[in-house]
Amino acid sequence: MERISDLRFLIGSFFTILGIILIVVAFTVVTSTAFGKELNLYSGAAMLAFGLLMLLLSTRK
Amino acid sequence: MHLSPVDYLIIALYFVFVLGIGYLIKRRVRTSTDFLISDRAVPLWITSLAFIAANLGAQEVIGMAASGAKYGIMTSHFYWIGAIPAMVFLGVFMMPFYYGSRARSVPEYLALRFDEKTRGFNAVTFAFMTIFSSGISLYALAMLLQVILGWDFNLSILLAAGIVMGYTLLGGLTSAVYNEVLQFFLIVLGIAPVVFIGLHEVGGWEGVVKNVPPVMTHSWQHMDNAADNPMGVNIWSMAMGLGFVLSFGYWCTDFLVVQRAMIARSMSAAQRTPLIAAFPKMLMPFVVILPGILIIALQNIGAGVELPIKADGTTDFNMALPTLIGHYYPTGLLGVGITALLASFMSGMAGNVTAFNTVFTFDIYQAYFNKKGSDTHYLTVGKLATVFGIVASIATAYLASTFNNIMDMLQLVFGFVNAPLFATFFLGMFWKRTTGHAAFWGLVAGTVGAALCHGLTGAEDKGAWIANLYEFQSTMAQSFMIAIVSWTSCFVTTIVISFFTAPKPETELHGLVYSLTPRPVETEKHWYKRPIPLAILILALVILLNFIFR
Repeated sequence: MERISDLRFLIGSFFTILGIILIVVAFTVVTSTAFGKELNLYSGAAMLAFGLLMLLLSTRK
Repeated sequence: MHLSPVDYLIIALYFVFVLGIGYLIKRRVRTSTDFLISDRAVPLWITSLAFIAANLGAQEVIGMAASGAKYGIMTSHFYWIGAIPAMVFLGVFMMPFYYGSRARSVPEYLALRFDEKTRGFNAVTFAFMTIFSSGISLYALAMLLQVILGWDFNLSILLAAGIVMGYTLLGGLTSAVYNEVLQFFLIVLGIAPVVFIGLHEVGGWEGVVKNVPPVMTHSWQHMDNAADNPMGVNIWSMAMGLGFVLSFGYWCTDFLVVQRAMIARSMSAAQRTPLIAAFPKMLMPFVVILPGILIIALQNIGAGVELPIKADGTTDFNMALPTLIGHYYPTGLLGVGITALLASFMSGMAGNVTAFNTVFTFDIYQAYFNKKGSDTHYLTVGKLATVFGIVASIATAYLASTFNNIMDMLQLVFGFVNAPLFATFFLGMFWKRTTGHAAFWGLVAGTVGAALCHGLTGAEDKGAWIANLYEFQSTMAQSFMIAIVSWTSCFVTTIVISFFTAPKPETELHGLVYSLTPRPVETEKHWYKRPIPLAILILALVILLNFIFR
């Protein structure tokens, strides 16, 4: 419970989920905007990396 | 702009997380100090990010992009001149008094240093200001969602206010601060793609320089004369009005931001909170101002993105950021962008409400109505104040939708009240002779001085309600001058009255005044944990940024 209420864990979880959603959308949804797929993919990858980093940090005291 | 189910899913995910944070924090909240001042137990990295996130509300995210489109990189003065030096001053010189005095709020420091009437003046005006700021933020959110997404105005207000009330009531200040940090990352990561794609489209910074007027890419070169730049201000009024009076008045005395440093775990952490916050703060212009400059460059190269025109035929600069998000963001990232905008409004509102409930409970209710209540009683009052603050914010949002001019007037009055505050704190902290009567009448004189300056000068058909003795180049130049007059009126009046009234005995001023407070012994071995080396590094970096974009 203590770890779940650690802010690093919460932020990490949020951005990991967000990153996965954007990466899935990049490969599955056809977008009408220029660079749409690339924007979702790169932004999703950046958010996923940030989320995983925060999750890793939350394992440390 | 049309949202797909994936975009709504992302917005819903955000709502679940912000409410979830409130729910998880709830079990830690047992006393009024847990609820209202987080029991002074929040880690440094969180207080630092919350310090800037509390200020990262709607006015900043939407307003700074609008100013970027209107004024260009000169808008960065609001950060590199109008925030960083004051944040450094707060961390190095003022936090030892705020934190060391054990005051629970800025008005309470005034009570300890001066007297109850000075505290009352500050507490009541601050309480009104936070409610109105929160209400304006809510109104702006609902208007934006109505314009860009077609959402119902009433539903937007109730949804945003309901969620802020939910997580603030559940977890108090800690919940608000935790959410501010989440909102900070969401705002930065949600808006950054606009900057990257905009720079890519226009050909990098060199492309921006080629495609916007030169005055938009230089922050200092066109400031010798007010008529030479779109802000209509010169170096003197920029440095004194924004760089000194307004900046120090806001960052060093406004409880909304100072509260975030006051809840740190130790004196050292409280001092470093605004200093650590200064690093991301000095980079924020690249996230919130650059999109505004980019949209002008993109318009000029014919990239197919255009700022909308208002009904009166003028350009709607406030739509700079939403227009870019709507133009470039695909399904998915669009949900993130809209959520980032929602986060900025909610962050600003929660910041105001949590500052309001603390000041109301400790500085109004406990100070004037019930001094001897139990802790449970004050916890209940704090929660009721939270509900009242949000309900009053909703009422203000509707008031703003009905009487727009009233909101302009209220904003102006807030400026009158805020500008002289730094003179009171500066004299109170650094001159032991300053008296309570002098502080109170100094504040009144500063407010009256500001009102007179506004009534006797005009700009862009505003002000001059007594007589038009001088016409300013812009309302911004006028507001800077009003701040200077207000601060000077307060400063001079406070000094003069102090000489004719009796000061507090020195024994009552230990820990409250610079000359009567022992200097803290520096025990940190690492330079990056000491305030002075950090301050020097920050000032060097901000000078470098000013030089690069001169």
